[in-house]
Amino acid sequence: MMGQNQILPLWLDPRTKILLLLLCVLSAMAAPSLQYEFLLVAGIGILGILCGKWRYALKGMVFYAMVYLFTVWAMNSMTGTLRNMFVAFLGLFHKVFPCGMLSGIVISTTKVSEFLSAMNHIHAPKKLIIPLAVMLRYIPTIGEDWRYIKDAMRMRDVSPSFKGFITNPGITIDCVYVPLMMAASKAADELSVAAVTRGIENPNPRTCLIQIRLGAGDAFTTLCFAVFFLAGMYLKEVG
Amino acid sequence: MNNQPKLECNGLTVKDLVTTGIFSAIFFIFTMFGGVFFAVNPVLTFYMPMGSALLCGPIYLLLVAKVHKRWSITILGVIMGIVWFVTGMHWAFSLGYIGMGIIADMTAGLGHYKCKKLNMLSYMLISLGGIFTYLIFFIDPQGWAGAMLKNGTEQSYIDAMHTASPSWLPVVMIVGTLFVAAFSAWVGGNMLRKQFEKAGITV
Repeated sequence: MMGQNQILPLWLDPRTKILLLLLCVLSAMAAPSLQYEFLLVAGIGILGILCGKWRYALKGMVFYAMVYLFTVWAMNSMTGTLRNMFVAFLGLFHKVFPCGMLSGIVISTTKVSEFLSAMNHIHAPKKLIIPLAVMLRYIPTIGEDWRYIKDAMRMRDVSPSFKGFITNPGITIDCVYVPLMMAASKAADELSVAAVTRGIENPNPRTCLIQIRLGAGDAFTTLCFAVFFLAGMYLKEVG
Repeated sequence: MNNQPKLECNGLTVKDLVTTGIFSAIFFIFTMFGGVFFAVNPVLTFYMPMGSALLCGPIYLLLVAKVHKRWSITILGVIMGIVWFVTGMHWAFSLGYIGMGIIADMTAGLGHYKCKKLNMLSYMLISLGGIFTYLIFFIDPQGWAGAMLKNGTEQSYIDAMHTASPSWLPVVMIVGTLFVAAFSAWVGGNMLRKQFEKAGITV
């Protein structure tokens, strides 16, 4: 894991990533046109490639390009109620997609220890940061639990599908929730013991093996996104 | 766990914080899972808060039963707000979750997080967090699609939007969400009594 950092062309500080997310949300909100949003997604894709997530970034860009073409087509050739429905839906989609894509890149490239250490640098309240870090760490585990639960349900002849839910709601609900929540509360106990053992309650400033510092790459990326956001605001005023 | 030193003065131990984090993760996944079928469908998108409210009741009640201290629900609301904001949802969605999280926390606090009826009510309140986006949509439908249509306001679109979203829809949305949340909390309460209290999870 340590060696990976050296091969990547760009390594960003978690603080920069949060700033980028904020700028991205603002840009998506201020977006004056669809072309602008397309450029935003392209920029995020390039960032993703530089951060070493090239497969994810390419998938996201191709998918967005398809939706973009569909939107242009829908705006030009549809009429009436159908068009209005798509306007509301696609309006939401175009706002959400760039930010969702960027947060996917951010979450998959940030390690929990880096995140905690950076948050410590900006003096964020621990009460908020610990649950947040635990949450980000736990989401993949839910996916894993879900696969085990599905196997267990099949073994008991309970179908883990929508049809099974309709025909036999009570037992399906029990079979999904009970193991998931039992596992969660067990995991909560274990994780908190582990965290205490590793000194999360230590009142001294936290130290981290990976040095967190802001570099030229951070400044350059932030500058790019900030200029892009200001350009969006300017275009909106002019247009 | 009385032997754990407290992190800061107001009583949340590390265990409580970790529990809140884990249950926030499940809450988030289930909200998304319940909402996604509605959100991707243009006709049903207004009913998304109901879909989200349907699945999370048991999780919320177990969180309250496990932690039963002030601030944990607020933290849940704030985390939901941050996560939804970062995934690019409308800002009203995030603010709604943060605000409703605080209100829900106060409501459950009235019964010292032990009263089942008040816990249920507080779940109904936090479920309302999702509807603020749509309320803003009703107040300002032109701003919503501004980026889509160049120079936004085609008269035909405005007219059609008024017919497509009648004025009773927000009322249906609020009442429906409350109703669905109450149902979910009822199921959750039963599940808690049947499965978790006997197993000693909710100490």
